[in-house]
Amino acid sequence: MIELDARLRAVRDVSREAAEQLRALALAIDADPDAMEAHLDTEVYAMVRTSNTPARHRESLPGRPLRLLDEGNCLETVVGTLELARGDAGALLACPSPALAGVIVDLLGDERQRELFYTRLHGGRTWTFFAMTEPGRGSDATAMETRLEPDGAGGWLLRGEKRYIGNGARGGVGVVFARTGRSALSIRAVLLEPPHEAWHAQRLDMVGLRGAALSALRFDGVPVRGDMLLGEHLPVTRRGIWGAIETFNNMRIQVAALAVGTALAIAEYVAEHRKSAPGLPVALARAEAARELVYQAAARVLRDPDNSYLSCAAKLGATRMAVQTARWASGAMGPAGLLEHPLLEKWTRDVCAFEFMEGTGNIQRLHVAKGYLSGDADG
Amino acid sequence: MNAANTLDAGAVPAALRDCERIGRTEGLAAGLAAALDGRDVAATAPGRYAALSAESVREMESVVVLKHGLADREDVVFAELPSPRPPAGPALAEIGALLAAVRLGVVRRTLDLAVEHLSARDCGGEPLIRKQLVTGAVADLIAEVELLREQIPGYRDPAALADLHTRIDELGWQVTKLFGAAGYIADHPVRALYVSALCANTWIGREGAGE
Repeated sequence: MIELDARLRAVRDVSREAAEQLRALALAIDADPDAMEAHLDTEVYAMVRTSNTPARHRESLPGRPLRLLDEGNCLETVVGTLELARGDAGALLACPSPALAGVIVDLLGDERQRELFYTRLHGGRTWTFFAMTEPGRGSDATAMETRLEPDGAGGWLLRGEKRYIGNGARGGVGVVFARTGRSALSIRAVLLEPPHEAWHAQRLDMVGLRGAALSALRFDGVPVRGDMLLGEHLPVTRRGIWGAIETFNNMRIQVAALAVGTALAIAEYVAEHRKSAPGLPVALARAEAARELVYQAAARVLRDPDNSYLSCAAKLGATRMAVQTARWASGAMGPAGLLEHPLLEKWTRDVCAFEFMEGTGNIQRLHVAKGYLSGDADG
Repeated sequence: MNAANTLDAGAVPAALRDCERIGRTEGLAAGLAAALDGRDVAATAPGRYAALSAESVREMESVVVLKHGLADREDVVFAELPSPRPPAGPALAEIGALLAAVRLGVVRRTLDLAVEHLSARDCGGEPLIRKQLVTGAVADLIAEVELLREQIPGYRDPAALADLHTRIDELGWQVTKLFGAAGYIADHPVRALYVSALCANTWIGREGAGE
């Protein structure tokens, strides 16, 4: 069992308090994910944005009634994300913040690129995007078709398509993966600042988790300056695909934390409205077990960042548990209970999203089996 | 079609077959209309809201409906009903059975589409439908459809009927996953599976069931 130390307990408690503000935004964002202006000055959004920004790139915020978290490691982020998702995962993902793009910019960006990226986020009105997945290709990076063609003047022209990109259509700065040649090492990450006339973006209407604002993007020769490629200062093997893999190892556990946080929210909601619901202790026990596994997986990533066995097992188990919890809850509230409890109805749609984020269940199964066969279950 | 108003005698298999066929060939709203054809919704529905086809509501007078973004696009609406609601009885169980048949038909309809999708999409030079994890999932799905169809005639037992619908919810989710992230976009045909679960939520009492 992971014993939370004083620092982790502080992260948990601050996030738990902030989660209440996310809960208050949940239904409005689900109803209209485009109408964000009224929510952007919410304290919790300033907290999420600045907590995920390295200290040297932070803006100074007046007031700050909610405490800021220091730049944290994977376990601290997981503890915080889980508590915030207990408020509402959709409202959390709708927050203009560094998010996944920040992870890759930290990993592969040089100082100037980091400065550019984080400065754009000051004020809390700029969303970021992390564009890897392509239509018909899932997240199979090796089959990526989006390409960078030399423009003959030291820069590049970006051509191709991406799909299911969070906040893509409203993003002001972010990262797109594309290839400069045929080998795996030719896959590169570039920093982009739309809009541009060759940049075409459309928000997709999602079943749930609508705050994430998944989008389809098309690039018809978007110009990219040579100094916007991330990782030029790094060895060739550490420039593109390596960064994506490291980012996914980290984000997979974050998605598991979102699933566990949502499941806890669901079980606690039922407990509040129907205390004697059959199955409630089981639902809570399962969610708490998944929380423990997610914590364990995050601790393991800290010890061994390249090993994905436990994080894949955690994502697989947490996602499945969250869907089961939602199904149980929809029955527990009685006939038409979902329509009488719109938050619960929303969460039964939201939990399905976690299956599709950062690798589907089948992808996780392949990784888990591979890890087990390599002895990772005893490591 | 006129789904038999009572399911006595030899009418059961025929009405169930019809409902499954309509769910499969015409979709959820048409199936729901068939399952509720000739039934007194206000005197039967167990909750404050009852799922109905939008078309059938258009013919009714003074019905207050609750709209839902996804259900609306499936031509399904939720009629608001006065409290208190009547206790569950045989008429409600029959609707539960017919609705289960419709929902199995909708699962078949979307499974057919999933197989088309998986046959057309390659990964590593091979169609996804030939990947063992995917083939296994499809086999489990259709085997479960065959099994659940045989559970419908046991609808008079409330626990058996509740279990049946919960397992159809799970079947719908297993089909949805076969589409990958496309199965999470609101204008995709799998929307019918999300709405199908919502319909069952209004018609089937499951509050006594645990995990």
